[in-house]
Order: sequence, then C-alpha cells, then structure tokens
Amino acid sequence: MAEIFLLSLRQLMGRWRVLVILLLAALPTLLVLLIRWIGEGDIAFHEEFVGLIIDVMITGGIMPIVTMTLAAAAFGNELEDKTLYYLVLKPVARLSIVAAKLLAVLVVALPLVVASGVAASALVGAEARILGTLALALAAGVTAYATIFTFAGLLTPRALAYGLVYVLVWEGLLSTIVSGVRYLSVRGYTLALLHGLDETGFSDLAERVIEFPAAIVGTSAVIVVFFLLALYRLRTMDVP
Amino acid sequence: MTASQDPVISVESVSKWYGSVVAVNEVSFGIEPGVTGLLGPNGAGKTTLLKMIEGLAAPSDGAVTIFGETPRNNPDLFRRVGVMSEHEAVYGFQTGRQFVAWSAKLHGVTAIAEATARAIERVGLSDAQDRPLGTYSRGMRQRMRLAAAIVHEPEAIILDEPLNGTDPRQRIEFHDLMRQLADEGRTILISSHILEEVETLADRILLMVSGKLAASGDYRAIRAKLDEQPYNVRIVSSDPRRLAAALIELESIESVALGADNDVIVLSKNVAVLQRSLPRIAKDRGIRLERVEPLDESLESVFSYIVEG
Repeated sequence: MAEIFLLSLRQLMGRWRVLVILLLAALPTLLVLLIRWIGEGDIAFHEEFVGLIIDVMITGGIMPIVTMTLAAAAFGNELEDKTLYYLVLKPVARLSIVAAKLLAVLVVALPLVVASGVAASALVGAEARILGTLALALAAGVTAYATIFTFAGLLTPRALAYGLVYVLVWEGLLSTIVSGVRYLSVRGYTLALLHGLDETGFSDLAERVIEFPAAIVGTSAVIVVFFLLALYRLRTMDVP
Repeated sequence: MTASQDPVISVESVSKWYGSVVAVNEVSFGIEPGVTGLLGPNGAGKTTLLKMIEGLAAPSDGAVTIFGETPRNNPDLFRRVGVMSEHEAVYGFQTGRQFVAWSAKLHGVTAIAEATARAIERVGLSDAQDRPLGTYSRGMRQRMRLAAAIVHEPEAIILDEPLNGTDPRQRIEFHDLMRQLADEGRTILISSHILEEVETLADRILLMVSGKLAASGDYRAIRAKLDEQPYNVRIVSSDPRRLAAALIELESIESVALGADNDVIVLSKNVAVLQRSLPRIAKDRGIRLERVEPLDESLESVFSYIVEG
C-alpha cells in the first residue's frame, strides 16, 4: 500500500494543480489581510467573519473545490493516462488501492484546508478552542468530500466538471436557501459539526444548522458509503 | 511449470458485447507453455480478449481461467502472471529503475534490487535505467515496461502488441528474450497485428478476425493454408512483357496483367509455387527482377482468405 500511496502523492503534485489549490487555500488569509490594510478598523471573528469567511468562502467553496481537485484526479489521472492496469494487475487488494488513493488525497487536502481556515481565524483573534473545533470539523468535511470525489473520479472522466456544478448548485446555492438540503449536504454537516462542537464559539451559526447528531451520522454515512462505492466500482468496472 | 494437464490459460466460449456490438464471439482455446501468438487485424477483438484473460474486463458470457483460477478480482494470481498492456503510458517522473523496482515491490518480490537489475539487464537497458521514463524513446519505454512485467519471474506472461515502436534490432533481441523465457518453461501469449512479428517466434498461432477465432494451430499449417489462396503480386522487372508471357504458362497463375508503371500484376492461385518459380523463370530468360511485392499482404486480406476458405 505504501508504494501506491507514494506514487499517488507524486501524481497529485502536478505543478498547476498545486498552484491552484495553494492559491485557493490562501484566499481567506489574503482577504483578512486585505480588509485590515484597506479598512479603518479590524475584522472580528464573530458576525461577518463566520458568515462570510467560514461559511461561504471556506465550507462553501475552498473546502469542496480543493478536495475535489485532488480527489477527482486520484483515479481520474490513471483512467485518463490508461495506467490503472499497472495497479489492478498486481497482487494488491482493491481495498488497499482505494485506501492508498484516498489517503494520498487527504494528506494533501487536509493540511491545506485546515490551515486555510485556522490561519485566517487566528489572524482575527479566534481562541485556541475555536481553532481546534474548526480543524476537526473541516477535517471531517474534507474526508467526506474526498470519498465522494474519489468515487466520482472512478465513475466518469468528467468528475471535475460535474463536481463543480454539484458544489456550486447543491452545496453552494441550495443548501443555503433550502433548509432541508442541509441534511444531505457536506457543507451542512460541517457547519453543524462546528456549532455542535463549540456552541459558544460558533453561536452565529445557530439559526442555520441541522442537529449535531444528524451531522455526525451524515458525515460518517457519506464517508463509509462512498468508500464502499469506490471499492465496488474498482472491482466491477472494465479497466481501460 | 504446471502440475496438472490442464492448459495454463483456458478460454471457454467467451463472448464480449457492448450494447449491440459484439467484440468477441464464442471464442475457445487453451494455451500451453511456450510462445503463442494471438494474431488479427486491428479491431479483430484481440485486445478485448486479452483484457478478459487478464481480468480487466468481465466476459459477457463464457469463462477464462489462468492456472485454473479466474483472473477477475483475483489479485494473488498476479504473483504468477506478468502483463504488458497495449497502452504505452508510464509514470514519466519515475526513472526506469524506479518503475521496475516499484513493480517488483507490488508483486511481493523480496530481493528487489537484484530482481530489478536482472529484469533490466534482460531487456538491455542497464545503461539508461537511471533516466526518467519521460525521456525514453518509444522502443525503450516498451522494453522497460517489459522488464516491469517480468521482474517477478512470472510463469505466464501476456503481452499486448509488445513490439510497437521497436526497431529491427530491438525486435531480434525481443525474439531472443521470448525464446529464452519460453525455454525456461513459461507460458507466453503475445498479440500482434503484424504477421511477420510473430510468425518466426510463436510455437502456435491463434488467428482472430471480426471477434471470432478464425484459425489456430501450428504456424506452418496455417501458412500452408494461406499459400493455397489466390494472391495478387506486383513484379517490377527489366522486361515485363516477356516475364508476363512466361508466367502465364504456369498452372498456378490465374491471370497476368501489365501495369501502367512497367510492372506486372499477377494473380497466383498458389503463392508458394510462384515464390519458387519466379527466380528460375527470370534467370532462364535473363530478366532482372527489381521488385516483388504482394498487393494484399495486409492481415485483413490474408485473414479474409482464411475466413472465407
């Protein structure tokens, strides 16, 4: 498994892909610095920061897009280059292949997305407990998205395009305006985890989150179901 | 290398269809140790068949086994099987040695460095092993992929169009290596759309046309069958009229026509007879032969003879 993990890690480190996700991850911090530079006062953690930076920018945009960019490529690149047969015609269990690919995605995406949220929050004076909660919730959200898009990359060569539509329409638009959608939304789960883990620190989210247990069940279900779907797909597909 | 009498690779009534398109139609054969050539024109269904043998694709009907086991979702089987696909893509950032060593590790080889060095030596690329694969020529890439496919000393080796991109010298070396591997008791299945690539190498030939197994067996027997078929040959010589007059006397010649470029187009009922007679006729009459070329030697036409025959 280590050999496939290391190879996948190297495959994900394409120059353009790394540049794009680094820029995306740096956006919240750059925005905070820009507001400080041009604004008269300082930006506070509560109110506009949680609403704009954490909800809309990070959980609604940066987290899914950065994770999708990496996860869709995990198998997508192998299918496009027709190199997947190198992996599946080895005495390696399909479970190990999927796990290694997913792990490579998480090793890159997790630190980036977590650092993106934590660095910007720390800049506006968020307490250590809030930063810890943020790291935990974002890690759960990234893991859920990673399994979804790893499966999608095995399903279609257009995973990135379909994924972008899903992120913008379902996670971005519908989960904001239709409250029921939040029960079927990774963004909804992430926000509910933030609020459930630290109700005081993320009190601004109280009005728009689902129940904490529903978020835990939802996140776990997405991770398990999409991991199993990826495994099933790899077992049953015709490999090009 | 197998304990039982069963074929190493067994294909039984295998079909594969995609919607209404039938790619492979009711194909059956068994493959024993030695070199077997899977021949057929492009689009004959060779690659689809190989994918089913390798377990990369599920047969729509029928069954495939290697060493008595189904290859589909059977990773452990590939400790004994080495595969080189038709796709030439490699991980361009790896050096040749890294690529072969990576393959060795995944195959569970214990002495990785030694096995890697031995496999690379066998394909004659020791000097280039530390260069990134992205800098290799097509032929070198093919050879390094072959090294990765045999690094774990597999008992069965499946190679899909392995000679694509290789030059004549590399082909000779490839032939020698395959013979060496076959002499060690391994079972080798090589697909190709070029008859000449495999005819001198394979102990047995499987001919596929339009998804069906058109013929199988000893190459010479198949060749003899081919030789009995009508064959168009173009001959450029110093005296086409006299040559045409002499050729029409032969019993095996069905028709002779003078071409526009001072050449003779001959339709021979038995190409072997023509091959034997032509030099003698030319010598006896003092005619210089400048070029003799078959007009329909593509596999498509050759195979169509067999199928129609």
